[in-house]
Amino acid sequence: MAAAVRGAEELELLERLLGLPGGNKYGVQGERKVPVLQTNNGPGLRGLMTIAAHLVRQARKDQLLGSTAEEKAVVQQWLEYRVTRVNGGSSKEDTRTILKDLNMHLEDKVYLAGNIFTLADILMYYGLHHIMVDLTVQEKEKYLNVSRWFNHIQHYPGVRQHLSDVVFVKNRLYTNAH
Amino acid sequence: MAVSGTLYTYPENWRAFKALIAAQYSGARLRVLSAPPHFTFGHTNRSPQFLKKFPLGKVPAFEGDDGFCVFESNAIAYYVSTEELRGSTPEAAAAVLQWVNFADSDVVPPASTWVFPTLGILHYNKQATEVAKEEVRKVLGVLDGHLRTRTFLVGERVSLADISLVCALLWLYKQVLDPAFRGPFGNVTRWFLTCLNQPEFKAVLGEVQLCQRMAQFDAKKFAESQARKEKDKEPPKKGDKGDKEPPKKEKPPRKEEKRPQPEEELDECEQVLAAEPKAKDPFAHLPKSPFVLDEFKRKYSNEDTLSVALPHFWEHFDREGWSLWYCQYRYPEELSQTFMSCNLITGMFQRLDKLRKNAFASVVLFGKDHDSSISGVWVMRGQELAFTLCPDWQVDYESYTWRKLDPDSAECRSLVAEYFTWEGEFRHVGKPFNQGKIFK
Repeated sequence: MAAAVRGAEELELLERLLGLPGGNKYGVQGERKVPVLQTNNGPGLRGLMTIAAHLVRQARKDQLLGSTAEEKAVVQQWLEYRVTRVNGGSSKEDTRTILKDLNMHLEDKVYLAGNIFTLADILMYYGLHHIMVDLTVQEKEKYLNVSRWFNHIQHYPGVRQHLSDVVFVKNRLYTNAH
Repeated sequence: MAVSGTLYTYPENWRAFKALIAAQYSGARLRVLSAPPHFTFGHTNRSPQFLKKFPLGKVPAFEGDDGFCVFESNAIAYYVSTEELRGSTPEAAAAVLQWVNFADSDVVPPASTWVFPTLGILHYNKQATEVAKEEVRKVLGVLDGHLRTRTFLVGERVSLADISLVCALLWLYKQVLDPAFRGPFGNVTRWFLTCLNQPEFKAVLGEVQLCQRMAQFDAKKFAESQARKEKDKEPPKKGDKGDKEPPKKEKPPRKEEKRPQPEEELDECEQVLAAEPKAKDPFAHLPKSPFVLDEFKRKYSNEDTLSVALPHFWEHFDREGWSLWYCQYRYPEELSQTFMSCNLITGMFQRLDKLRKNAFASVVLFGKDHDSSISGVWVMRGQELAFTLCPDWQVDYESYTWRKLDPDSAECRSLVAEYFTWEGEFRHVGKPFNQGKIFK
């Protein structure tokens, strides 16, 4: 099974995607390996969501946090989902539930929040990469909306970086999959 | 360097939207001329200057600041696009072209047959509408299958394919694709809404409301627009329309079966659609006049003024229905640079754009920088100064003194000859001729 992108590695991917100079040193805390960032002139920042949002603001790309109040809330919602459910769950059953949830949500949407690419898409992509790599062709077909979304995000300029390109077949192979 | 130029169109033209959205992506600077005084649909695009650049007289039409001219909406959109929008590999570019053509050949014809009757601009034919509905269902099915596994039509980002198809589907989604009809095509709707909500689309299209209830044929609107159309066909407009008429008449008149000829009907329809509710003709109260101004303008533009146009003028001039005026700029001492004085004259002409069918003038600048004067001769419908008839026309005329000329007087004859030919002594002025401007 592919290794999950987590902690410092994920935040470094985000830094590069945002075009930040890098050089931040990340630590981890506690049993659940919560990432920590010590800033130069402030308190230490704790937790993926907090640090990621901080990096986005530092890069002056606030639109990645959503533009309207509703959009911002939905971005938060999926970041929370990412931290609690995707990071938390590890069983086959958990994975199935996550994919089912997302597949439903993405049926009539291109991005997780609103109609634009946001931090929610980025972190969900990093969080799901190790899962998507291991899906069979049939599973990718079953979670068609997730597949379509994942493929779009991995092609978004600057997102994928060194992570492997997950291949999706665009023409239906198993017509009875649903 | 980014493209920059002028886009001629009528307002709210979905074909022009394609170029405008593409320009949002590429940063091309498009100056849109869609309203008077700069552009009057059916008038500006029939003018000789326009036809010289765009022989079909169709809009949208693009004129680059470097003089490059191109018509056909897809070609304009292509020209103002970036490489990404066009498709950066030969395969991607071919796929983009495929969808652009698909939009024109498979979506637009049935969409028009179905939508235009609901807007009251095409006669309703139940059978044709039902056939069109099925065709729309078919193309939406094709699109839905394609978009099931894809976010955008070609590659993983917006291309001209998406821009063209969204614009082609715009009226369908606004007028007739109610939730029940579009239900089975969720992938198309997802893609459509995503495109509409991209900032580049939004900047051009604004907020688009999807149809809630399928619009039906609007008999009342149709009757109104037909009446407008008929009115448009009356003389003296007839001459203008003439160039469009002949090819149509060659076709044998079809029987009851009213399957519209897609392209042609569409343009006709769009013209009506574009024609704002016609303002009342400010000269409607005048009896018909035998003097055809357009006829004289053609002679004036194309033939020798002294030997052909002037004799024609005096032979046909109708002193009952028309009047002649001499005007003089009131504040010659304020005129400085000659180019500024010229702008003063042409600016006035532009603001009087809608008067062109009912007036002709030659206005001349005399003298040199800081020592000049402006005066002119006007031919005008009716016996009064026309400027009071419309608020748009009142900006400039009060800066001039106006004197009605007696068409029989020798003075009038010589003024008309001098001003129309820009030659002669101009004895009344006392300054040499600098340059003239014609309002026609």
